[in-house]
Amino acid sequence: MIKLFKDIYDYREMVFSLVRRDLRGRYKGTILGFLWTFINPLLQLVVYTLVFSNVLRMGIEKYYIFLFVALIPWIFFSGTITGGCEVILGASNMVKKIYFPREVLPLAYTISSFVNMLFSFIVVFAVLLFSGYGVDPMALLYLPVIMIIEFVLALGMALLFSALTVYLRDLQHILGILMLAWQFLTPIMYSEDMVPEKYMGIWRLNPMTSVITAYRDILYNKQPPHINTLAEAAILGVVLLVIGEVVFRLLQRNFAEEL
Amino acid sequence: MGMREENAVEVHDIKKCFKVYADHAGQLKERILFWKRNRYEERKVLDGISFEVKKGEAVGLIGQNGCGKSTTLKLLTKIIYPDSGTIQMNGRVSSLIELGAGFHPDMSGRENIYTNAAIFGLTKKEIDARLDDIIAFSELEEFIDNPVRTYSSGMYMRLAFAVAINVDADILLIDEILAVGDAAFQAKCFNRMREIKASGTTIILVSHSLGQIEQLCDRSIWIHEGKIKMEGIPRDVHPHYMDHMAEMTERAAEKRRQEEARKAEGNAAEEQKNEAKEEKAEQPAEVKENPQRYGNRKAEITSISLNRPDKQDCHTLHSGEDAEIVIRYKAHETVQKAAFGIGIFRNDGVHCYGTNTVIDQLEDFDLEGSGSMTVRISKLPLLQGSYSMDIAIECDQGIPVDYYKNAIQFEVTSRLSEAGVMRVEHTWELEKQNG
Repeated sequence: MIKLFKDIYDYREMVFSLVRRDLRGRYKGTILGFLWTFINPLLQLVVYTLVFSNVLRMGIEKYYIFLFVALIPWIFFSGTITGGCEVILGASNMVKKIYFPREVLPLAYTISSFVNMLFSFIVVFAVLLFSGYGVDPMALLYLPVIMIIEFVLALGMALLFSALTVYLRDLQHILGILMLAWQFLTPIMYSEDMVPEKYMGIWRLNPMTSVITAYRDILYNKQPPHINTLAEAAILGVVLLVIGEVVFRLLQRNFAEEL
Repeated sequence: MGMREENAVEVHDIKKCFKVYADHAGQLKERILFWKRNRYEERKVLDGISFEVKKGEAVGLIGQNGCGKSTTLKLLTKIIYPDSGTIQMNGRVSSLIELGAGFHPDMSGRENIYTNAAIFGLTKKEIDARLDDIIAFSELEEFIDNPVRTYSSGMYMRLAFAVAINVDADILLIDEILAVGDAAFQAKCFNRMREIKASGTTIILVSHSLGQIEQLCDRSIWIHEGKIKMEGIPRDVHPHYMDHMAEMTERAAEKRRQEEARKAEGNAAEEQKNEAKEEKAEQPAEVKENPQRYGNRKAEITSISLNRPDKQDCHTLHSGEDAEIVIRYKAHETVQKAAFGIGIFRNDGVHCYGTNTVIDQLEDFDLEGSGSMTVRISKLPLLQGSYSMDIAIECDQGIPVDYYKNAIQFEVTSRLSEAGVMRVEHTWELEKQNG
C-alpha cells in the first residue's frame, strides 16, 4: 500500500508529462485551439437552455443555471470513464515494453479531465456572475471538498474500467450507452425531489446522486451542502476507489500478455 | 523474505507459461460463445530458474532464440509476472529494453528527453541536472530543438539511447541494444556501459554477442529450454555454448543434406532407369554424379571428410583450431605425375584460399589403386561464416582428372568477433613518449 504510493510518487514527473501532453494534444490542430475548453461548455449551455426553456419547460426557476452547475461535473465524470477506459489499450506499446506503475495512465487521464473541468468552471462562474445570479462565499468553501470527492470517485472508475477494457474490449462501446443511462439515473436534468419516494433507495446507491446534489447546493441553492450528502459521497468515493484499485492490481499482472 | 545484503537481485525458482491463443477472444461475442473452450496452447518458457546477482556485478544472459532469456529480463523489469517463484530486487531499476518509449514526433528533441526520462521514473529536477549530458552524448546539439519527426532514424536512436543510458540506476537491465547507430557511436555506448559498471551499477545484459559479454560481464548464465544449463566466468561458459550451437547447426545441416541426398537419389534412380545400365555401378556411393564435376576420371575422389581434434567427419570447424581434410580416392588406371588441389570459397563467392601439391612443391607421385590424401591445417585462420571447398585431382600440369567443384560445405565458428576474411596473426605494442 505504502509502496504503491511511493511508486506513483516516484513517477510523478511521468504523470505531469502525460497530463501536459494530453491537455496540449486535446485541441491540437484546431483553429481556436485552447479556446475550445471554454467554448464547448458555453455552447452546451446554449443548447440546453434553448430546449428546456422553450420546449420542455421544467418549471424550475433559472433552469439553465440549475442544469449548468450539474452538467459540468457530470461531463467530467462521464468523460473520464468513457475516455479513461481506453488508456491502457492506447498505451499498449509502452505497457508491453517498459515498466512503470500502470496506475499512472488512468491517474494522468483523470487529472487532465479534472483540469479541464476546472477551466470549465471559469465559464460557470462567469455565467453565475454576469447573469446576476451571484454566489455565496461561505458555500463556495465547500466546492473544493466536493471536487476532490468527485475526483476520487472518477479515479476509482477510471482504474476499474481501464483494466477491464483490456480483457473485454467491447466495454468501450458498452460504456457509451451505460453512461447515457447513468446520466438519466442521476438528478442532473431534474431535481432530487422529483424522484418517486419508493425508488429513492436506488438513487441513493448511485454515488453521483450525492455528488451532483452537493454541487447544486453550493452553486444553485447557494448554501453549504448537508453534511450527510458530503459524507455519503465521500464514503462511496473511497469505497469505489479501493475496489477500482484492487481490481486494477489484480488485472494488471497480465496486461502485457493480453495486449 | 529478506534479501541478503550483498545481493542486488535474487531470483528464486521462477516459472512462466505463455498462453498462445489460436485467435484472440477479446470480443464479448467470442468470450460468451466460447466461454468453455478458449482455445490456446500453453508454452512453457521458463521452467524453474534461480540465480543471484551481487551488487556491482555484471551478468550476461546467453542462449538460443526462444530459450527464455528475454522473458527472464521482462520478468525482472516487472512487465510480466512469473506463474510461480519470486523475484527480489534491491535498488532503482532501469531497463533498456525499449528505446524511445513515448517519443512524440511533433515535439522537439528537448521536450522528448523530458517525456522519455519521465517514463524511466526521473523527476523534473533530476532531468534538468542530466539534460546537458544527455544532449552532449547524443551529439545532437544543433538539432535538439527541432521536432523529432525531422530526425533520421540514426539520430532518433542516438537520442533515445542517450536518455536511457543517462538514467542513473542501481540495477540496469539491457536487451540487445548495444547495436545502435554507426560503429563510432556503438563504441561510445560500449565505453559508457563500462563506465556505468565501474561506478558500481549492477548490470544484467542479454546479448548474442559473446564478445561483448566477455568484455563487460563477470559471469554468464546460459539458459537452455527454460532452464539454466550452465553459469560461470564467460570465458569458461562460452566455449561450451559455442560447441552446443555448432552441434545444433551441424545437426540442422545434416538433416538438410539427408533430405537433399534423398531427393538426389530419387532423381538418380529415375535417370538410371531411363539411361539403361552403363558403368554407373562403378560410381562410389558417397560421391554422386554432378554437373559441377569434370575430368578424365582416370582416378576419382570417392569421399571427403573434415576432421577436427575432437570430432571426425564434421561440418563445423572452429576458427583458430586445427583441422584436417581427408580426400579418399580410387584410381581406375595409373595416373602419372598426379596432383591434389583445394580451393576454399566463402558463401558470398570470395575465393579465400587455393593451393595444390605442385605449388607446395611436393615430390611427384603417381596414383594407383586407392588411398587417401590428408591436408592438415594448423590454427585455421578463416573467420566465422559458411564456406565451400573445391577439390581436384590433376595430372601433367593441370589436366583435370577429377575436378570436383563445391565438393563439401562447412561452417566456421569463432569465439571472437573479428572482421574480414581471415585472421592475421599479430600482436600490439604501445609505446608512449613523454613530453
